[in-house]
Amino acid sequence: MGARELSYAEAIREALAIALAGDERVFLMGEDIGVYGGAFQVTGDLVDRFGEERVMDTPISELGGAGVAVGAALTGMLPVYEFQFSDFSMLAMEQIVNQAAKLRYMLGGAVQVPVVFRMPTGSGLGGAAQHSQSIEAWYAHVPGLKVVEPSTPEDVKGMLLAAINDPDPVIVFEHKLLYKMKGPVPEGRYETPLDKAAIRREGRDLTIVATGVMAHRALEAAESLANEGIGAEVIDLRSLRPIDKPAIIESVKKTARLLAVYEGVKTLGIGAEVSAIVAESEAFDYLEAPILRLGGVEAPIPYSPVLEKVAVPQVDDIVASARRLARGQV
Amino acid sequence: MAHEIVMPRVDMDLATGRMGAWRAAEGAHVVKGETLFEIETDKAAMEVDAPASGVLRFVAASEGDVLPVGSCIGWVVAEGEDFVPPVTSPRAALATPDSSARADVEENDAVYADAAVGLRATPAARRAARERGLRLADVKGSGPKGRIQARDLEQCAVGEPRMLSVNREWLRRGEGAPIVFIHGLCADLNGWRPLFRLLPETRPALAIDLPGHGLSPLGEEASFDALVDAARSVMIEEGATSAHLVGHSLGGAVAAVLSQAPGVKALSLMLIAPAGLGEETNPAFFDGFLQADDEAALTPWLNLLVTDPASLGSALAPATLRQRTELPLVAAQRRLTKALLANGRQTIDIRDCLAAPRMPVKVVFGLEDRITPAHHAENLSGLVALHRFAKIGHMPHLEARREMARLIVELAGAGAA
Repeated sequence: MGARELSYAEAIREALAIALAGDERVFLMGEDIGVYGGAFQVTGDLVDRFGEERVMDTPISELGGAGVAVGAALTGMLPVYEFQFSDFSMLAMEQIVNQAAKLRYMLGGAVQVPVVFRMPTGSGLGGAAQHSQSIEAWYAHVPGLKVVEPSTPEDVKGMLLAAINDPDPVIVFEHKLLYKMKGPVPEGRYETPLDKAAIRREGRDLTIVATGVMAHRALEAAESLANEGIGAEVIDLRSLRPIDKPAIIESVKKTARLLAVYEGVKTLGIGAEVSAIVAESEAFDYLEAPILRLGGVEAPIPYSPVLEKVAVPQVDDIVASARRLARGQV
Repeated sequence: MAHEIVMPRVDMDLATGRMGAWRAAEGAHVVKGETLFEIETDKAAMEVDAPASGVLRFVAASEGDVLPVGSCIGWVVAEGEDFVPPVTSPRAALATPDSSARADVEENDAVYADAAVGLRATPAARRAARERGLRLADVKGSGPKGRIQARDLEQCAVGEPRMLSVNREWLRRGEGAPIVFIHGLCADLNGWRPLFRLLPETRPALAIDLPGHGLSPLGEEASFDALVDAARSVMIEEGATSAHLVGHSLGGAVAAVLSQAPGVKALSLMLIAPAGLGEETNPAFFDGFLQADDEAALTPWLNLLVTDPASLGSALAPATLRQRTELPLVAAQRRLTKALLANGRQTIDIRDCLAAPRMPVKVVFGLEDRITPAHHAENLSGLVALHRFAKIGHMPHLEARREMARLIVELAGAGAA
């Protein structure tokens, strides 16, 4: 019997429905998540099933909406706030970074902030500079937040349910190109850990560490590399804070070569952290080549579809870098 | 041309050095090869020679300063040279971990060429070289721009399995027959430094890390003969074929056999608590010492070596443990212990070597020795001088170092220089 398949967006909706049905403290907030069904049609018909009190359309004020969500979480509710684009979360930075992430520490553990922020991320849909950014690393830099980026329908359902149950603020980045991607999703309620990477493919010649849609591109690249006799191990980070250091270190100790692939701007991004984890660990003594990073170009994401593709790593870029690494050309 | 003077690395365990006395003052004329300053560690004082002849200028360290290895501590400039030192010394970061403790930095290139510091090798290759005792300088790199990859060492290990190096260090260079120091089982050449600093500055001195000890890897063969061969090779390679031999414990046995070996000439022989004069020893010590993996476990075994634990110094236990985590020495020393002891008894016998010695010989024991008992020295030839120290254990060269320094001077002075 083949496993049941859902799209990534359907898996999110299913997770939200399970959470709403299972715990009356759970409610959803966001712009156009009600009747309209969400900017990416993720919430869909949830307003019909759970009513407007639990699937709340908010005014066009990210700061206000996020503030209400943080306040509700402080009082014991379990809000899930949807941003239309992660880019817009910059308007709500004060609530996310200065309030949600800090309050448990500043009040000596007397309060918890069990809020979830859902953030559609990344380029590829022609959204141009203000609707296409990948700012995961910004939030992953903030102690007090948990930051995850599930890459499969199964993971996004499990991680979202874990995030709603988590006592701390969790940001779930959802790559827009993944919403329509289908994959097997278990029935019912289950949780996927918020701190564990997934080894998507094993290999001996190099380790590719990737996140979100890049994990899929890395897997596609690994298929192509296998035809050349190069075995690429693909690690899907899944979580950026906390980051699964042992998974990276153990893999690099085996393969001796590391390529970090991420969509955010290359400089000071996820790849810098992944590289440093290896450089600072016992895996350093196993390296047989410099560490390579593939990240977004040092420019805003262009509107032109041609340039938009060039601006972030594509499968061919990953194949080319991995090949140079594995063949001892760097 | 101005020559930089840097804080040299005198001990692989130390990232810093403590300045001792300058032998020349700011503005003084110095001569290349003459002692310029001293440095001190927990274990030793050491002299460093002037890297060039000229005028000592821009002295940047004074006695007692603790500085990172590689720090610039002054310059030797040519007479009348108009020289201003750079703000950050370009060579500071590249200071060669030169085991001979000399600050020879004549040319930029020399710094690169000499040491693994300037070699292009991957971290994995460096690790493999460390673990297997290969010298990266002897390996040809197959990576980009000649970078040495781990696989290059594999090939070299298959093709030339004997590329093992025996570490040695000139504690002092100079004219005349050197004193060659050979340490005991589970020790290394650093153990000689406290005694060495009490010796007069007349004789050159060479210390050897026996295979499986200190910075010397153990080869395929874990045997007493292999140790003797290694020490003999070092003496020949270093031009120290005529030498005064000083050996402790197992090193004493090595020295005794060396004194009869072809190709080298022992001018005198000083055996400190030597192995090989009887069968009895303390196998529990070696088991316990090699099993201990923290300071608390190690200390009681170290204390078994002496009557006064203070004579060991506080740095020995941490240095021993640090070395163990960085180098595969414990396995090597276990193999050697197994080869040298049978049913807990010594298998080597040097008594024949001492039956009719052609050179002056002193045998030294502490009466409280709990590793090689002092009564082993009874019944030696009347040509062998026997020195016995009351209230001293297995380490007279640490516990009674002033007396030992005097005995070495007596003996080496009596030998044909």
